[in-house]
Amino acid sequence: MFGRQRRRIDRRQNRFIVRMDDQERALIRQLLSELRELLALSPEDPRVRRLYPSAYADDAELENEYRSLTREELQSGRLASIEVVESSVDAELLDIDQLTAWMQAVNSLRLVLGTMLDITDDDHDLSFDPNDPNARTVALYGYLGGLLDEIVDAQLSD
Amino acid sequence: MSAAPVEVKLPETDDDSVADRPWIVIVWNDPINLMSYVVLVFQKLFGYSREKATELMLDVHHKGRAVVSSGTREKAELDVFRLHEHGLWATMRQD
Repeated sequence: MFGRQRRRIDRRQNRFIVRMDDQERALIRQLLSELRELLALSPEDPRVRRLYPSAYADDAELENEYRSLTREELQSGRLASIEVVESSVDAELLDIDQLTAWMQAVNSLRLVLGTMLDITDDDHDLSFDPNDPNARTVALYGYLGGLLDEIVDAQLSD
Repeated sequence: MSAAPVEVKLPETDDDSVADRPWIVIVWNDPINLMSYVVLVFQKLFGYSREKATELMLDVHHKGRAVVSSGTREKAELDVFRLHEHGLWATMRQD
């Protein structure tokens, strides 16, 4: 097992074990507060526009109706996920509802960071350059992708 | 989560078949969502098998889009909303 990174999220019957040190949990807590600030922005703000996709591509009237009916619920649902993650960020064992909230919060962050990095194609080059002004965003985007992948894998394994 | 029954008044038209045509829900390829995540979302939201969910995800990835569900306008709109909750690019239109 030398050189092989241990998985952070593992399924144990109906629960999920979380193996993270305090530093990583503190990072997640920090990112959650950043996401909360982003969710306070108007859904029209380009930074969060990706979190509120269009439903009716070719009917402006139905689209406006859909947006006015759903934007608040999309926002409050994500805020609720943040609260669930905040209250379980130090836990070593999560149930499926808690893990789902983790997944939704991590994915929302990835969508926002990916939008900021202007990722527009599947083969986007994300090599890390510490001198790049976006270096922190690139690093976090990569980190969250790895974490999300583990959260998903733990649920898909049976 | 289940949809409350909604009484719908369809516009009167000479051609009933227009109103009867089902609505389809389309998921579009996007460069941010992980492939494994999209498979899991399809399984969770629609109860698809791993095989079916993977097939749909690969269609989205390679062909740019896939029809993932269909039905009344209300059902399609709820499906689109749940996909949006999960951050997927989904739209709907009448078939």
